[in-house]
Amino acid sequence: MSDVIGADLPRRDAEDKLRGRTVFTVDAAEGGLLHAALCRSEVPAGRIVSIDLEPARRMPGVRAVVSAADAPGRYGITIADHPLFAVDQIRYLGEPVAAVAAETLDQARAAASAIVVEVEEYTPLVTMAQALADDARDLHPGWEDYDVLVEGGRRGRNIGWEATVVRGDTDAAFARDDVRIVETEFVAGRQNQAPLEPRACVAGYENGRFVIQTSTQVPWSVRNSTARLLGVREADVRVVVPPVGGGFGMKFEVSLEPFAALLARAAGRPVKLVNSRQEEMQTALCRENAEIRIRSAVTESGEIVAREAVVLMDCGAYGGEQPFLTSMTAHTLGGNYRLGAVRLVSRAVYTNTPPNGAFRACNGTYCTAALERHTDEICAAIGMDRVEFRRRNVLGDGDLGSTGQVFEGDVLAPMIDRMVALRDSAAPVERADDGRLYGTATTVGTWFIFVGPSAATVNLNPDGTATLVTAGVEIGSGSTMQAIPQLVADSLGLRPEDVTVRAADTDAAGYDGGVGGGRTTVSLGAAGVAACDEVRRKVFDLAAEMLEASPDDLVLTDGHVAVNGVPSARITLREVAERAQQVSGPISGSGSFTGIGVQPMSGCAAGHMIGALDLPVFAVHECDVAVDPDTGHVEVLAYRVVQDVGRAINPRAVRGQVQGGVVQGLGYALHEEITIDARGKVRQTGFETYRMPLSGDVVPVQLDMYEGAPSFGPLGVKGAGEVPILNVAAAVSCAVADAIGRPVSQIPLTPQRVLGLVLGRESEGVELRHIGPGWRDNVIADPDELMAAAGV
Amino acid sequence: MFVNGEPRRVHADPMTPLSGVLREELHLRGTKAACGEGFCGSCTVFVDDDAVASCLVPVGLAEGRSVRTVESLADPAGALSPLQQAMKDNDAVQCGMCFPGMLMSLTALLETNPSPERRDVHEALVGNICRCTGYERIVDAALTAARAAGAAVEEDAS
Repeated sequence: MSDVIGADLPRRDAEDKLRGRTVFTVDAAEGGLLHAALCRSEVPAGRIVSIDLEPARRMPGVRAVVSAADAPGRYGITIADHPLFAVDQIRYLGEPVAAVAAETLDQARAAASAIVVEVEEYTPLVTMAQALADDARDLHPGWEDYDVLVEGGRRGRNIGWEATVVRGDTDAAFARDDVRIVETEFVAGRQNQAPLEPRACVAGYENGRFVIQTSTQVPWSVRNSTARLLGVREADVRVVVPPVGGGFGMKFEVSLEPFAALLARAAGRPVKLVNSRQEEMQTALCRENAEIRIRSAVTESGEIVAREAVVLMDCGAYGGEQPFLTSMTAHTLGGNYRLGAVRLVSRAVYTNTPPNGAFRACNGTYCTAALERHTDEICAAIGMDRVEFRRRNVLGDGDLGSTGQVFEGDVLAPMIDRMVALRDSAAPVERADDGRLYGTATTVGTWFIFVGPSAATVNLNPDGTATLVTAGVEIGSGSTMQAIPQLVADSLGLRPEDVTVRAADTDAAGYDGGVGGGRTTVSLGAAGVAACDEVRRKVFDLAAEMLEASPDDLVLTDGHVAVNGVPSARITLREVAERAQQVSGPISGSGSFTGIGVQPMSGCAAGHMIGALDLPVFAVHECDVAVDPDTGHVEVLAYRVVQDVGRAINPRAVRGQVQGGVVQGLGYALHEEITIDARGKVRQTGFETYRMPLSGDVVPVQLDMYEGAPSFGPLGVKGAGEVPILNVAAAVSCAVADAIGRPVSQIPLTPQRVLGLVLGRESEGVELRHIGPGWRDNVIADPDELMAAAGV
Repeated sequence: MFVNGEPRRVHADPMTPLSGVLREELHLRGTKAACGEGFCGSCTVFVDDDAVASCLVPVGLAEGRSVRTVESLADPAGALSPLQQAMKDNDAVQCGMCFPGMLMSLTALLETNPSPERRDVHEALVGNICRCTGYERIVDAALTAARAAGAAVEEDAS
């Protein structure tokens, strides 16, 4: 092992970013670019009576106008329910109806606004309660005919997807006479990722193929979805990705690219399309709002004999990520703790609101908040210390998860001990006698690495350097700038600066699942290391002849191939690479990676795309808060994290991710919320009203990296960038509840909401009348069949 | 206007935001315009001695005045400014979109207050949104740069 691993290597892209030289997609300015604008629906729901594009075609500077007739396909992750342009029906305010390309942006916007759209309006269903009402209109009439891309989820009416978990006899456990029943409700708001670079792309049409430069996290997914929407071969779409100015999940699916592609083909010139900030606010693929009821049967000694929960996730007008994300409830809300029996249902609900999407630790943030608030209420009910209850009940080696997977290793319990030690080593948090209410909370969380397919090629160049070719995108996290070149350098005995990382290009690199889900360092890193293994074999075979040694005795170090134990017997990698040019041709290697496919217990999970976690990740968070009872303002005084990182390839980079992720979580917990009025309009039209954390709001996060938990990632690594946001809302909600001595059941904890709680004005519960009283009342599937399938 | 020390004549309508002129007409794309409403600070530049949100300044108001952008911070030979260097050394950068604005706000701070307290740095950044870093490292870097400059001044004095 070289000293490259575990080193705080700097980022190779920092200097250009600091000089203002980095060219993001939003900065693209090549000559001859046309500019595009979308004509978006101004109503949230209705039947399209007519669309008149002619006024736009006659406007000055206009070079192309396209609409639904040009894009025949529909896309989705589980169900192909989403057309590029509204067809027949409008389902959300801001839905694209047509697109225009013109010589200038002003001309394109003027032409887009000249398009006449006649709509017979429907009463919009903007809340899940409205969409689930018995007499609610179907948002997707004819939903039975949509292409099913993934089998297994139950669907019906305005429920786009339903996933269930059944393990053990929950009814019998709830009926025991030695248990307390504790019930908690929780409501979480919608959160906008708000990357500073909006969604943006430039498309061209060259030699019969679409060439798209875009600000995305998922070049391969954009390639495939664009092809599907446009009705062309996937091979006829090329996607390239320059540095991305933040994503956080919003850029985890196709967005603007197909519009620009269609316009470029129609106009015969490259087209740039960028969302304005107002469009980003109205149509961001946000973290979904959610509504949760969770109920547990617990013995006096603190054993959780049964748990059931209902989770409603608002997918907006189209399914997008949410049907897929219903899978995660089993592992987030159903995670952390040993459960005797368990029964869960997660439902993705269609509403006349903008489609939601992926956001850092999707589903996990609110499910963990609900679970941890519920856990504190259990502790209060049975009179047990909150940390002690967790230490006794967290999943350990050999324990069963909710879907029956067997967990490996004791990780969470020792992490709790490390948190106690971290707290004891820190300066005590001062509780001034200032009339404020002080509280603290310790929360645990379970997340995972979204492993899955990645490909890599490593070329050994004639000068002895290496080039790594993957579809990995640099979204700001630094994975492709730090950890991945560190892994490749370590594997080939090179310095990281001798490893060139090719920017993502689907014409150059093999398939990749995208940058997100904490997978980059694990999946792309493992594929890269596998590619290096092939390079190493070829280098050793050739060098063995040159050094007259056995390939088995060779090592790669400091840019040399050396005979192990004989310092003088060595040649440079450059000499080997040059020799290869003559005898075998250039040396390269290819590598690939995917998950290991851990399975749930038979019959336990229905409608799940992730029935069990290949690579779990754990986190323990603790915070101290002060609540001003006169204003409802919450101040976070201190924040501590113990995070399971597997192995820290670049510890300083991990610390940067944890600080950033926790702060994004503080925004989610305290003040970031997208709200939608009765007319389907997002009230927060910009950064004035969508309040993100500012410099003065933050505290330095104290971090203890927990290394050594089981991981099949390269060198035992786990992704570190996604999980820091996981239990921030949980820790803050629990700490505020501790401070004010009342339950907290809704986030964000805005001053107004907290003041209402303090004054007893805000109802202690939340109204979830559209969630039936028991699990059986909330499933489309036949509950008895589900129970029977699980052997109950 | 004098842009980064050079006299420049621009043709845009006087009501065009300065940020748009810098980006579109002068190709100074280091200045970002992430929100376009003056709330994110990514378009911060100097107009004369003031760090301002250039998306809110009509270019007509900059007529005859000196405008400095992020591209002017490194010295002409190419070396990063001490503040830029401290950002690099502290591994402060993530996606990078906010940094041009952050650097201008902090350069303004250090020009007026060469030895700021931590709180002063946080306050100087109140108009700059960063969505990636959680700010602390940016603050650390500014304090590092200030201390390094202070030490250099002391050395010169002795």
